[in-house]
Amino acid sequence: MIPGKYRSVSGRAANNVNCGLHLVIQTSSLPEKSKVEFKLNKETPSFSGRLLQHDLERNYSSRQGDHITLASSSMPSFPILQRSSEEKILYSDRLTLERQKLTVCPIIDGEEHLRLLNFQHNFITRIQNISNLQRLIFLDLYDNQIEEISGLSTLRSLRVLLLGKNRIKKISNLENLKSLDVLDLHGNQITKIENVGHLCDLRVLNLARNLLSHVDNLSGLDSLTELNLRHNQITFVRDVDNLPCLQRLFLSFNNISTFESVCCLADSSSLSDITFDGNPIAQESWYKHTILQNMTQLRQLDMKRVTEEERRMASVAAKKEEEKKRESHKQSLLKEKKRLTINNVARKWDLQQHRISSIAPNQDRKVSDCPQDPSQLRGSTVSAFPEETGSLDSGLTSALQGLSVTDTHLVEVDGDTLSLYGSGALESLDRNWSVQTAGMVTTVSFTFIEFDEIVQVLPKLKIKFPNSLHLKFKETNLVMLQQFNALAQLRRVDQLTVDPQGNPVVNFTLWKYYVLFRLSHFSMQKINGTEVTQNDMIMAERLFGILAHVASSELPQYRLISILGDARKKQFRYLLETKGKKPGLVNEENSDSKRLVGENTNRATLNYTTRDFYNERLEEIKEKKKFCKMYMEDLVKEATEINMKNEALQKLWPQMFIELVRDAVIEIRNKNSYMKLCLQQITDQK
Amino acid sequence: MLSPERLALPDYEYLAQRHVLTYMEDAVCQLLENKEDISQYGVARFFTEYFNSVCQGTHILFREFSFIQATPHNRASFLRAFWKCFRTVGKNGDLLTMREYHCLLQLLCPDFPLELTQKAARIVLMDDAMDCLMSFSDFLFAFQIQFYYSEFLESVAAIYQDLLAGKNPNTVIVPTSSSGQHRQRPPLGEASMLEGVEASQFSQCLENLCDRHKYSCPPPALVKEVLSNVQRLTFYGFLVALSKHHGINQALGALPDKGDLMHDPAMDEELERLLAQVPGLVNSATANPEAGCLPSRTPPRVGSPWRPLHHARKVDAESDGSTEETDESET
Repeated sequence: MIPGKYRSVSGRAANNVNCGLHLVIQTSSLPEKSKVEFKLNKETPSFSGRLLQHDLERNYSSRQGDHITLASSSMPSFPILQRSSEEKILYSDRLTLERQKLTVCPIIDGEEHLRLLNFQHNFITRIQNISNLQRLIFLDLYDNQIEEISGLSTLRSLRVLLLGKNRIKKISNLENLKSLDVLDLHGNQITKIENVGHLCDLRVLNLARNLLSHVDNLSGLDSLTELNLRHNQITFVRDVDNLPCLQRLFLSFNNISTFESVCCLADSSSLSDITFDGNPIAQESWYKHTILQNMTQLRQLDMKRVTEEERRMASVAAKKEEEKKRESHKQSLLKEKKRLTINNVARKWDLQQHRISSIAPNQDRKVSDCPQDPSQLRGSTVSAFPEETGSLDSGLTSALQGLSVTDTHLVEVDGDTLSLYGSGALESLDRNWSVQTAGMVTTVSFTFIEFDEIVQVLPKLKIKFPNSLHLKFKETNLVMLQQFNALAQLRRVDQLTVDPQGNPVVNFTLWKYYVLFRLSHFSMQKINGTEVTQNDMIMAERLFGILAHVASSELPQYRLISILGDARKKQFRYLLETKGKKPGLVNEENSDSKRLVGENTNRATLNYTTRDFYNERLEEIKEKKKFCKMYMEDLVKEATEINMKNEALQKLWPQMFIELVRDAVIEIRNKNSYMKLCLQQITDQK
Repeated sequence: MLSPERLALPDYEYLAQRHVLTYMEDAVCQLLENKEDISQYGVARFFTEYFNSVCQGTHILFREFSFIQATPHNRASFLRAFWKCFRTVGKNGDLLTMREYHCLLQLLCPDFPLELTQKAARIVLMDDAMDCLMSFSDFLFAFQIQFYYSEFLESVAAIYQDLLAGKNPNTVIVPTSSSGQHRQRPPLGEASMLEGVEASQFSQCLENLCDRHKYSCPPPALVKEVLSNVQRLTFYGFLVALSKHHGINQALGALPDKGDLMHDPAMDEELERLLAQVPGLVNSATANPEAGCLPSRTPPRVGSPWRPLHHARKVDAESDGSTEETDESET
């Protein structure tokens, strides 16, 4: 029977006076002026509006006040109220006692038909002495000093209870008010919604400007259409989906910051109008589309109509948001994995360098410290990302592309930088890199890899990444100046960065000059970030120029050839091993070597062979040396024998000669017999 | 050439004394190594070049350490090559650490052992603060002594230890190569009481050593000279004195005198030529002022006033201070 529109104010009321008391207080006989507007206290009733109401009330009350006599009663504190009989007849169901400076509720005598009672703007502290008004439908105690809801248990017909702007701390003692239609408790000190579950006819509940921190306990309010919770401290909302009729929910100026805290709203199919302005959530970039996306039934948001366009954009934005979140999550996972891998590689490197002694238990502990699921990462030994054969830059959405991440090494291409961590990463140079990716790489960075191992893959680097101009070395165990000789075989190096960490060579005074000297044909521009000046080049030449001169012109020809031949042979051997004989490559090789010889011959003999190769070669030579030694020994023996024989002959020869002569002389002494002897010999010979 | 002493030795020993066999073996080995390349231009030419380079002292460039160490001539050539190549570093005035010098050595000989350099550094630094910086000349002369006379020095170290320990100086001690290593550090207890050993006693032991030592050692007369100037001396003090002694340096014949250490007009000229070729170089007027002082600028490359090999041979013959003329020093 309660009419629906509580808020309407119009002259229409005159027509529907028969359906019972409108909540808009009007009677047909009342002049225009005393039409009182009772609005549910909206957030922004304009001040002027309020004042108008105030004025009207004042007029009204002043009019009425004349007819009220407050006589003192027998009880010391309670005045007794009596009206003149004309008043009683005229306004039989309404009594207005606003601004009467009442501090207590007076005893109202003989007004059992009263339906409307107005105690606005007094100083009443307790609701009392109205238990007899059992026909009361409308009770207005706005702007008093009531601290507790009480004294209402007999008012079973009450439909509108206005207790705004009091000092009520707790909702209680409303058990019998089962017909309540409107409950206004705004401007109090209520901290919790409770004891309202039985108000199944309640349509409007106003709890604005209280001290609520959360919303729940709303089940049972099966008729609730409007719930005003503005200006509280609400951080989360629950139970709203249990309100089958709720259409309007005002949550402005609270403390809601995430959608999760109000997620039950999404399940409320009846909700069509909601406000969140003044909450932290309204400042978020994703606010609008998240709300619209999750509450598709909404018609108005923050007092503005939701258009189709907005809805569409909201869903698009929500999708994008989702994707972005997924992407960033993936990125952060990737980053974490990379960081762990690098740590792992670093640890292995340190072990290798004999810097730390303890091994396994430390590692495991460290791995399990990571925020990620440890079992997932420890178990993986193969690359986590499916980047097998074929082009590797398919589906690139972000600039960062981790290509191979395992526990032992890491290869990463980031725009123009190729980073390799751990010696296992060197194998990745064998892969099929797309021309585009490889062409973009201008910087190659090596970390935690022995320089000797890097030297062996430099030819591969030259071919696969032809545009690499900047080389960076960190923790690569560069200890000798000689090792820089190995870089000469590259096509071109513009910049060189050797991090002092893990590269003792940087501690030498002369290392930069040596690099400039040996790699002068590159015309390097920067070393470790500092520009190379003309003076540097001159100094380098001055310091080591003679070395170059000695290394080229003072070496015997065969040594020159053999040293240069060695270098060429090595390169050639690599090419043959990996690619098989490809005519194109062979040509390139030849032209390269020609260029090598042409450019700076005097330095070309300054090569670097890694320790292992060197020792290998020495081993190979050992055999030869042994053979040579034996051979020489034989020769020497022979020579000494011959020499001995020669010397012996020298000694014996005079004697032998004398004997020879003597024999000959003896033979010829007798001419005749000698002639006969000779003839005899000649005939014998025949 | 045909002096009677030569014929007095049996053949093999004679050859060994002159290290002829070493070179022959090495030559043949090199031939085998580079068969393909050398066969192109003939074996005879190869041998010519090889022995030429032996004479000139360039045969040790970029060779393995075992070869460089093999003969005194090799060692001297190596010293000379090192001086020649890195004189500019010294001229520049840079003070380098032991490791850096070692690095430079390795540029010429990839497997040069670190211990030798360390020992040389100890001489310079008097066995103290091994990370100190050293000047080029200090290091070079100390290195010369250490490298050229390494075996001799080991024996001396052993003798010194014994003298410190108070043993009978006349006992003959032949140190093994490893024991010399350990005994390089004199026990602190001994040293603190009296610095070093009696010079005269030491001198006598060294004389005995030189007499019977089959490795090369410095001319005994000069050693005596060094020891006659002081009353007592420590091991490193002795080595420092050796390294700084001009006479020994000259007797060795590898390096010029200390005063002339930075002088090498031929190479300087070469350097100027190279500097002129540096791309974009504006002027060579910033070149070293020394070059300007030299009056003549046309000495032939080989004909530098210094002739190393002439003297090297002299030192090899230990027992005789013979003035034996070498046949050829020039090709």
